[in-house]
Amino acid sequence: MNITKNLDGEKLTVAVSGRLDTMTAPELDEELKASLDGVQELVIDFTETEYISSAGLRVLLSAHKTMAKQGSMTVTGVNDIIMEIFEVTGFTEILTIE
Amino acid sequence: MKEVKGDLQGDALVIKLSGRIDSGNAAQAEEEIQAIIAESGASSLIIDVQELEYISSAGLRILLRLKKNFDDLRVTGAKPEVFELLQLTGFTEIMSVERAYRQVSLEGCEVIGEGANGTVYRIDGDNVVKVYNDPEALEEIENEREVARLALILGVPTAIPYDVVRVGDSYGSVFELLDARSFSKILAEHPEKMDWCVQEYVDLLRRIHRIIVPKGKLPDMRKTAISWAKFTSDYLPEEAGRKLRHLIMDVPQDNHMIHGDYHTKNIQLIGDEVLLIDMDTLAVGHPVFELGSMYNAFVGFGDYDTEQTKRFMGIEREDAFAFWRKSLAAYLGTDDEEIIKSVEDKARIVGYTRLIRRSIRRGGLEDSFRKAEIDLWKKELLELLDKVDTLMFLPNEIKVDATIKNLNEVIAFLNGHLEKNGCPLKAQNEVQLAVEEIYANIAKYAYTQGTGEAVIRVEADRDSKGVTITFTDQGRPYNPLEREAPDVTLPASERQIGGLGIFLVRNIMDDMQYEYRDGSNILTIKKSW
Repeated sequence: MNITKNLDGEKLTVAVSGRLDTMTAPELDEELKASLDGVQELVIDFTETEYISSAGLRVLLSAHKTMAKQGSMTVTGVNDIIMEIFEVTGFTEILTIE
Repeated sequence: MKEVKGDLQGDALVIKLSGRIDSGNAAQAEEEIQAIIAESGASSLIIDVQELEYISSAGLRILLRLKKNFDDLRVTGAKPEVFELLQLTGFTEIMSVERAYRQVSLEGCEVIGEGANGTVYRIDGDNVVKVYNDPEALEEIENEREVARLALILGVPTAIPYDVVRVGDSYGSVFELLDARSFSKILAEHPEKMDWCVQEYVDLLRRIHRIIVPKGKLPDMRKTAISWAKFTSDYLPEEAGRKLRHLIMDVPQDNHMIHGDYHTKNIQLIGDEVLLIDMDTLAVGHPVFELGSMYNAFVGFGDYDTEQTKRFMGIEREDAFAFWRKSLAAYLGTDDEEIIKSVEDKARIVGYTRLIRRSIRRGGLEDSFRKAEIDLWKKELLELLDKVDTLMFLPNEIKVDATIKNLNEVIAFLNGHLEKNGCPLKAQNEVQLAVEEIYANIAKYAYTQGTGEAVIRVEADRDSKGVTITFTDQGRPYNPLEREAPDVTLPASERQIGGLGIFLVRNIMDDMQYEYRDGSNILTIKKSW
């Protein structure tokens, strides 16, 4: 997994490439926790994300909870396989997905 | 007190120094040495310091001056104190200095093991010595010592050589090995322990094959096998030779450890610990290369020369064959005869390729008995080359230490099976997800104290339209099916962080069963496509 961040004023875009699984999710979690101060608009770009497991879902949920207090969060570029996981787990109802 | 004595051995003059050489007598010692040299007219010089107790800097300067006149000057028999001094002052870098080695006699010593490069004897209750066949084996010994250290650090239970000795004109490496008995000996004396031995033998083998070796630390077995194939293929019909080379070159590179000489004489039982003793063949590579050398030890070597197995392994040929077959079945995690036979065929190709080369290089074609043996191996090899199309295989199960770190290994193992059975991408993703969730649960929660092991077993349906995956661990009893499903309709603020993994597994798999049996959690999932 690779993480690329881009801060533009109060908008932070985090692009995740590769696999967001048990091994890699803690890294994204730490990265987000350290970067969300003062961010009003968080975009998580999943264009290059191939795979997600529950460890990755937990990171998204926790980021979503943080952002609910200070602004908004959007997930973009979700592939079919990951979209199915979002649907099964009800994440499509929680997250704003573009 | 000092003494200087000269003795001409062939072209070399050996000057023996004894006692103490210090500033008080160094000048006199040098005069005596020069006189002996002048008288002998020798062109090369060995300074034997076996009897030397002490040498001061004045004495060391003599050695330096001698080195100027004799470029190949050798200092031999240095006692530990003297060697240390020569090392500290950098003399070991300037000239060849050999340590003094303790002489060990093998009279009445029992042979407890025999490897490719030497024989292991028990010298007393606590110690064994491995005597090397090659009389110039110092470098080999140093190498094996390095390799044994590396193996120990990487988690292989082995004995570390702690001393080098002389045994007649050969060198020996000394290990501590208390009350050890080889598996060959156990099998010969207690045939009823066969199944126990197989289990322990395979457990250790799997443990070795799981170890990832840092790059460049051990030789690459694939390269070695390619050189065997090149040699042996010259003695086969062109088409068969080409196929052999391709089969071996098609085996992917692999950085997992293999032992290279894994037979029951090299496995020792000490108390209740199982230890490997012969480490000089350690390498990295695909397990098929290991199986090839195992097949040779238990079966191949004795194909023609049927007494060979008993002579070398110390067990009857039938028992050796039974042991090989049972070990292979356990290693592959299957009792499906068809699978076992197909992997055995692959191992035999590697094995015969090596045996034919070995025998020809040792002049086997010039001896009628050996020639007939080579012909038999060749015939078998040609038959195998006709029906085998790849040397790769997949065991049905792997056993790993249940840690998150090993997840990649588990997923790679799973993907191997899914790809082999043509699993579509979507299903492959779902099965991967399920395996990750269950494995991560075991790794995180099964063992509350320390870590334990987990076995993951994959069985494809006969028609390759689905898989059954079984997870076994000996952690605390836990039935994930009893866990209440999270309410996935709740808004984010009320959603719980946990419980999603098992929920996902239940939703994307076709079936999930749990049982607790004989101290093990056994969880089975199924997926069809």
